[in-house]
Amino acid sequence: MSAGAEGVEHGEKNYLNHETTIWSWLTTVDHKRIGLMYLFTITAFFIIGGLAALTMRLELARSGPDFMTPDQYNILFTLHGAIMIFLFIVPGIPATMGNFLLPLMIGAKDVAFPRLNLLSYYVYVVGAAMAVVALLNPIDTGWTFYAPYSTQTKSAVILMTGAAFVLGFSSILTGLNFVVTVHRLRCPGMHWDRLPVFVWALYATAVIQTLATPVVGITLLLLIMERWLGVGVFDPAMGGDPVLYEHFFWFYSHPVVYIMVLPAFGVVGEIIPVFSRKPLFGYKMVCYASLAIALVGFLVWAHHMLVAGISDPSAIYFSVITFGVAIPTAVKVFNWVSTMYKGSISFDTPMLYAMAFVFLFMIAGTTGIYLATLAVDVFYHDTYFVVAHFHYTIQGGAVIGLIAALHFWFPKMTGKMYNEAIAKVAFVLVFVGFNLTFLPQFVLGMQGMPRRYFDYLPEFEELHMISSFGAVINGFGYTFALVNLLGAWIFSRRKATENPYNSLSLEWQTQSPPIHENFRETPTVDDYPYAYGTPVEGGGH
Amino acid sequence: MFRYLPEQASKVAPSVDWLHNWITDLSVLFTVAICGAMLYFAFRYRRQDGVDHETPRIEGSNFLEVLWTVVPTLICIWVGYYGIVIYQDMREGEEQALVINAVGKQWIWEFQYENGKQTIGEFVVPVNRPVKVVLTATDVLHSFFVPAMRVKKDAVPGRYTSVVFTPVKTGEYHTFCTEYCGTSHSAMLAKLRVVSESEYERWVNDRSQDLAKLTMSPAKLGARLYEEKGCNACHNLSGTRLVGPSFLKLYQSETRKFADGSEITFGEEEETIEEYIRESILYPGKKVVEGYPNGLMPAYEGQLTDDEIKALIAFIKQQDGSAATEESEEDSGEDLQAKLAAMSPVERGQYHYQNKACIGCHSLDGSNLVGPTFKGLYGKSGELADGESYTADDEYLKNSIWDPNGQIVAGYQPNQMPQNYKDQLSEEDLESIIEYIKTLE
Repeated sequence: MSAGAEGVEHGEKNYLNHETTIWSWLTTVDHKRIGLMYLFTITAFFIIGGLAALTMRLELARSGPDFMTPDQYNILFTLHGAIMIFLFIVPGIPATMGNFLLPLMIGAKDVAFPRLNLLSYYVYVVGAAMAVVALLNPIDTGWTFYAPYSTQTKSAVILMTGAAFVLGFSSILTGLNFVVTVHRLRCPGMHWDRLPVFVWALYATAVIQTLATPVVGITLLLLIMERWLGVGVFDPAMGGDPVLYEHFFWFYSHPVVYIMVLPAFGVVGEIIPVFSRKPLFGYKMVCYASLAIALVGFLVWAHHMLVAGISDPSAIYFSVITFGVAIPTAVKVFNWVSTMYKGSISFDTPMLYAMAFVFLFMIAGTTGIYLATLAVDVFYHDTYFVVAHFHYTIQGGAVIGLIAALHFWFPKMTGKMYNEAIAKVAFVLVFVGFNLTFLPQFVLGMQGMPRRYFDYLPEFEELHMISSFGAVINGFGYTFALVNLLGAWIFSRRKATENPYNSLSLEWQTQSPPIHENFRETPTVDDYPYAYGTPVEGGGH
Repeated sequence: MFRYLPEQASKVAPSVDWLHNWITDLSVLFTVAICGAMLYFAFRYRRQDGVDHETPRIEGSNFLEVLWTVVPTLICIWVGYYGIVIYQDMREGEEQALVINAVGKQWIWEFQYENGKQTIGEFVVPVNRPVKVVLTATDVLHSFFVPAMRVKKDAVPGRYTSVVFTPVKTGEYHTFCTEYCGTSHSAMLAKLRVVSESEYERWVNDRSQDLAKLTMSPAKLGARLYEEKGCNACHNLSGTRLVGPSFLKLYQSETRKFADGSEITFGEEEETIEEYIRESILYPGKKVVEGYPNGLMPAYEGQLTDDEIKALIAFIKQQDGSAATEESEEDSGEDLQAKLAAMSPVERGQYHYQNKACIGCHSLDGSNLVGPTFKGLYGKSGELADGESYTADDEYLKNSIWDPNGQIVAGYQPNQMPQNYKDQLSEEDLESIIEYIKTLE
């Protein structure tokens, strides 16, 4: 513990109050402020996307049409998917927590290109605005924009894919910035093998963002050309090939799953050691696993297409390689749990979310095995089983990871403490509601219920009803959690100390909230950030 | 644990399920073990009274890292290997398979058999014989999914894909579209009927419906096309709005407004209502009615003959709002009478079974629908709703057709069956139906 040990006095300058005009926020190049602006923007989209999901679940609660038409339903699931993917979870943890924490964690003053960072935010805002206009137009292709439906349907596909194209650039800029920052701006002593696992995860994520996103950009551009100029690329009526579109699309959109979830792995890797007072078990393996997932993640895209009409040899290849993702993921889970062994464990809210994450991700991971297995995927493809699987991955993984991160770093970001009791109640609601929503959907999938169905056979009704009920509870849970945090920030009088959880990581070694320049003097480190506990024989690092 | 897969109706289903259930058991085992360990550690090493206790600085274990890399890898190899083996088993019997062509269109499944027989929304296959369904689509992507057979494949416009399965159980099974294809995606269902080899032969060679088409009045043919070509998915006859405008009083309308703001008055300008309907069937995008989206209806250009278009127009003309339009179509033409006269009584009975709507409520495969099945009906005895007993002899069957409410079998509802067969069927017709029922053992 070095810099900023003077403590936090009332009225002390920090990044929130060193300039206070709205203009100073809009033109800021401070990574912490940009992180917060991202956080508020994507939270707004999370709420809209969540309300769309709730509306769908209400319609689906009972068999038969209740209060909407099939077209309205199709628009709604497109809205839900597109908003949640493109506007919420892809920027997700990296653009919010990553922006805020990356320089702090490696002892830097800011990211490598602060102006580029601000530009990436505004590119995101422009893309988001385009997406909102397109979605209100409305659009009914699903977030996957599969051709030739997307080249034939009369909805604002060009604008929406244009929006996704622009959003992709924001993602590329952030990724590029992070890669350079990690390479160039580490403080003295911050060797690669001393980087926090969250930074490793951000690094792996940034590599994917930079390399995979251009492909989807080009794909969407081709789609726009096809619709606008009639150049036949994907539509067989014009001599194109719809399966080619699927290849292009998933070449990006599979790696993007790891853009969403790798940072959440990083968050869990930060939280468990702090609340267990133990070094992160197998630190190096956890870091390598992130890189391995990022690498293998590039090679498995067509497992989304095993029944799409690809040849048997390619189906076999993509099935086999997909198992390659399962192994580094399993390694991570084993290491997290082992970290708790002989620890001194306290159950603060972030720790509860981290433990829930382990459980939810076990389900997400093991159900992924079914889908990697060729003969079984034939049955499960495009059923509710897949819907449940990816919600366990994305909501149970990425969203729970983000909520855990928000609670964990809240004192650092705001300088306040939140109400622990309300946070725990919200946690229980989120956990119970989430499982109640999606466990029944696994069963529906097993019974053969296809996804993206406005209506279904009466025998599926009971499970749909339970799922809808769970969704409402889940919604209350998130509402409680967010209102609790926002309320604490505005109204709470409980000031956070510099390091309320006694973490060894650098971001906790400066005042809460940090000063504009992050650290009063450039920190130096001489150990990795998980050196908890009393050294034992043979336990060297 | 977690055994919810549907009925195993194909030869490959048990092996798919075997592997599936192994994955389930391994998943549950690992989840319980890992989360159990987590909860045990959480409880055993909890901080008591908020006081931090000393912890050992254990940073890792090479042995454990190797162990938990190798064990999951071996399991994945085993599962993945069998996944591939069973996947290849799914093509078993392809060479000698019965081939059926299936075409996915928004939002119907159309099936074509090798002898030219065509069906929509239903297909029939014999039990214990490999079936290969060759798939394609005419508009957008669809996907052909028969859960009970454990097969699924996308139907892609501009190419052929296929699924192969060998049904091992007779019965009726759901077929779904599982690739999102627009408005009525969730209604794009079909019924698969697996029947005995002999019943299949009878069914596939029964072209009486096709035959009857030749002799039908245009309006009646139009009524059939209305269902077969899937018009009914989007255009109803009651006046309410579906995806497309209702056919009720369409022919009788004087003006029509279009999405581009234009309007035509039939008869006044050169365009007749007939030409408008013809154009709308063949090129639906040309004149889109105000308030309806463009691009939803498939273009029927090249799919209908001139006679068929005329028949559809005649049918639409008939939807003038005067009730009982369907009943008024009784004049079947002299050709048909001659044809019927030339048939054997059993054939004639079968014809009436299909054309007098018996088929809607009385099955041939032993399943009881709205009414009791005809399979094995003749000579059967049982109990009536009023407690009396019956034996299904000629007399009983005759009374049941002419006066259905007179004797309701226990477990069935009265007033489900039309009461006017006495007006529709001659004594001779009646006997032919009974003869037909006698053959259904």
